[in-house]
Amino acid sequence: MTRGQQLVGATLAATIALTFSSAAFAQEKTFKIYGFGAKSGVVGIFGQQSEVAMQAAAAMINKTGGVTLGDGSKAKLVVEYLDDRCTAEEGINALRRIAAQNDAVVAIGPTCSNVAEPVFGVLQKKVGDASDSGLQFPLYTDVAAKGGLAAMSQWAFRNVPSEANMYKSIFEWVKSTRPDLQSFWGGVEKDFAHSNATFNVIKTQAGNTGLQVLGQSEWLLNDINFSNQVREMKRANADLVAISAHPFTTCGVLKEMARQNVKPKMLIGLTSSSSMETLQGCAAQAEGLIIPTSFAPVTDEARNAAAAVQALNPKYNMDLHNAAAFENIFTLKELIEKQKIMGRPDTVQADRQKMRDGLAAMKQTTGLLGKVGRTDDREAIKPFLFVQAKGGNWTVAHTPAQ
Amino acid sequence: MDFLYFLDLSQSIIDGVLFGAIYSLIGIGFTLIFGVMHKINLSYAAASIGAAYLSLLVVSAVPAPLVYVAAAMMGGLLGWLVYLICFRFLPLDNPLASLMSTVGMLLAIEELISHVTRGMPLNFPALFASTNIELGPYFIRGDLLFVFVLGCIAMVALMQLLKRTRLGLATRAVAQQPVAAQLCGMSVNATNASTFVIAGLLGGTAGAMAGAAIGVLSPLMTLPLTVKGLVVTVIGGLGSIPGAIVAGLIVGGVENLFQFLRGVSERDIYVMLMLFVFLVFRPGGLFAAPGGRD
Amino acid sequence: MDFYLGLAQVIGIHTLLGLSAWCVLHTGQVSIAQGGFFAIGAYVAGMLTSMWGWPLGLALLAGAILSGIVAVAVGFPALRIKGLMLVVATTAFAEIVRLVFFNLTWRVQTPAGLVGPDGSLGFGGIRYFPGNGWSMLEISFLIWFLVAFVMLFLGWLDRSRVGTLWRAVGEDELAAQSAGINLTAAKVSAFGVGGCIAGLAGGVFAHYATHIEHNNFGILLATFAIAYPIIGGLSSLAGTLLAVIFIQGILLEGLRFLGDWRSLLFGALIVVVMLVRPSGFLRRSLGESFGRTKHA
Repeated sequence: MTRGQQLVGATLAATIALTFSSAAFAQEKTFKIYGFGAKSGVVGIFGQQSEVAMQAAAAMINKTGGVTLGDGSKAKLVVEYLDDRCTAEEGINALRRIAAQNDAVVAIGPTCSNVAEPVFGVLQKKVGDASDSGLQFPLYTDVAAKGGLAAMSQWAFRNVPSEANMYKSIFEWVKSTRPDLQSFWGGVEKDFAHSNATFNVIKTQAGNTGLQVLGQSEWLLNDINFSNQVREMKRANADLVAISAHPFTTCGVLKEMARQNVKPKMLIGLTSSSSMETLQGCAAQAEGLIIPTSFAPVTDEARNAAAAVQALNPKYNMDLHNAAAFENIFTLKELIEKQKIMGRPDTVQADRQKMRDGLAAMKQTTGLLGKVGRTDDREAIKPFLFVQAKGGNWTVAHTPAQ
Repeated sequence: MDFLYFLDLSQSIIDGVLFGAIYSLIGIGFTLIFGVMHKINLSYAAASIGAAYLSLLVVSAVPAPLVYVAAAMMGGLLGWLVYLICFRFLPLDNPLASLMSTVGMLLAIEELISHVTRGMPLNFPALFASTNIELGPYFIRGDLLFVFVLGCIAMVALMQLLKRTRLGLATRAVAQQPVAAQLCGMSVNATNASTFVIAGLLGGTAGAMAGAAIGVLSPLMTLPLTVKGLVVTVIGGLGSIPGAIVAGLIVGGVENLFQFLRGVSERDIYVMLMLFVFLVFRPGGLFAAPGGRD
Repeated sequence: MDFYLGLAQVIGIHTLLGLSAWCVLHTGQVSIAQGGFFAIGAYVAGMLTSMWGWPLGLALLAGAILSGIVAVAVGFPALRIKGLMLVVATTAFAEIVRLVFFNLTWRVQTPAGLVGPDGSLGFGGIRYFPGNGWSMLEISFLIWFLVAFVMLFLGWLDRSRVGTLWRAVGEDELAAQSAGINLTAAKVSAFGVGGCIAGLAGGVFAHYATHIEHNNFGILLATFAIAYPIIGGLSSLAGTLLAVIFIQGILLEGLRFLGDWRSLLFGALIVVVMLVRPSGFLRRSLGESFGRTKHA
């Protein structure tokens, strides 16, 4: 064999060995909560932040003794997070891998909406349907926010803000506080399902409150030239401009608007863009941008949670996405205790069923900003507020009555 | 169709043509490497963006123009690295192996950028960002004009390099007849390496210009620039530098034109169809390369 | 167990994709279009089963045949171009296909609600497998039956006259033409067969994922498609299978324990493999390794 062949062979053998090695045995009793989402790639920050938030929440719970299992014993919560790289195949693989573990009762995730749809699709649609060979594993999503996905399966539950509610509220607030704004122009990232779907909601709600919808500019997720789109915007000269796009193109459009001197009276953005990325890229141009969001450090719980995340890893902070992951850990802890989940390898399928039933029976959960309602569709009704970009930070612009 | 419509239409084309200068620079890089080594370096656009990212390391210490120079130099360095890793040690008669190798490099560079920056778009200094030259009813973006002029200077400099210097002579010789060139005492490896460095310098500039034109850098930019760069290379004619320049401007203009006419969802379909038209009616490209070994 | 079966399914789908690229690469054409045929097969088969209730076998066949027809249509103009130009032309074709599906909106009312491709929002609800109670084992058997069928077919083709013609065209077009080989027939047939197989792979993928959207079928997928035969070794069908197992099984799933570094190492490892073994894992076909010599 040549040296090259030996090297390749050794590497192959080593990786195969590691692939099939089993987990180390824990010293004390532990209960594992799995997570999966995009931890690498362009949107890797979502998964990384979720993981840190889940670990911070678990640490908080463990400090007070951990979780009480169905047999009365106490166990420490442990978090394991798998990377799905925001692709459908890896998302399904990651879920199957989790479901194959005999200590996996529930998983939090995924972070990408385009992974959530296929992943929810492989779950069993209706509980108890023997003719449906879909996976029977409960999921409690923290980040993937495209509308209506939890309805796909009775095993899928989500703790994401309802964009329909939030944008309805923000436009009503605009109508009541700024009656001088008459016209609307939209900007949308056309090839990203989430931005596109939310834009339809935004446009509808704007029209419902009496704003005259003059039209919209469209672009693609990795476009780099926005001169045409902004020129259309300039010509329309609408009072209110809403941009349904992620930070990269939002910043590109905002910078082009600055260049062409387009200054609408009010700017509204996409929920997902109310994070540090937008301010990193274009804080100056984003000044005044208002976004409805489900997290801001305005309550004691929220501030403590944010501090816990920063203490665990100062590279990360808390935003609306991983706040949901944080809340989910606490909710799941309550459910484990309420449903008397045993957490033993031989009770795994029964535990999953109990967890699912527990999630379905919830009428309300505790969130960082207040109580979170649940819908029949297994979605959440989260308290929300409006934040505004001011001086490189997100400040609270208004807290609407819920 | 009123006056405003035509005004917007022509402004679109002007903007597109100016933006196409970035595509031209990337196209020159692809065509240069192909012309000399008859191989494709798919990681070129990624390395160019990578160079722009690397130049951000000095952004707080130096004024904007020097950041661009830094990007160019980083591009040269990355170009040499790509040559070393993906081309130097691979057998010359196996083009597929180096193609795959550059694909791996493309993935690695993109992933490295995402990993280090955690996916956050980074602010990039823009030169002449607020300069808008008014020519009658038209607005010409100062920074795009700067990129355009830079591209022209690059072409002229490159043509001079290839025609007047010993390095250029060596490059052309190695491209046409590597064995004969070696017999004349030229080092094929050194010449090829310097080609990659020169292409890298251009690429770094292109990456910096792209970043300056949008105002932010993001790993999302690598794939579209790669595709557009390849389209430009083919339309311009493989191995032809003036071809790449002209083709880049054409692609930029046509892209914006179709976007204005048919919207963003169908825009790229028309750009690709235009490529097919060229391939059917003029497969050698706009300026077919002067006789080589092919 | 289900996890390994799921992994086996993914490996099977990607092997079919790799085999489709193998056909085309064999005649010396580097085509990034396999992703486009994959997409056509996926959408067609997905639409047939979920919107009009076709049985799976017929839907997969229809997807494969339609992709094959489109491939032949693409193969003819592709005759005039070689090398880098073909790479770019096929990339352009794949992008056009992706954009067509990006714009495609066609929904029909079914007992399960409104189903069909919805532009950029994607095409979900392709629940043939779970809806009809297929177990993971049954799905894996189906996929691997198809893989085995295609590999046997291609192996037979390789040993027959057609394979000889393909290899001749792949080695040296001028010499082949001088020997009286019909270049058109060889290249277009390779394109067609490759397109069919990619369409089949796409149809299976759509049912595996239950939801597809245009972003699934980008250039990266097409690059993977040609990566498998190149890394596996062009003269060997088994090499493609080995490369898929290496990339999907070991690099992607096996290296999970590396966390963030997995994606970084992915590209780097491909570069390393090419440096260490530029002609691919297996240099000779499996048959040759077992002592049988290749017939002229």
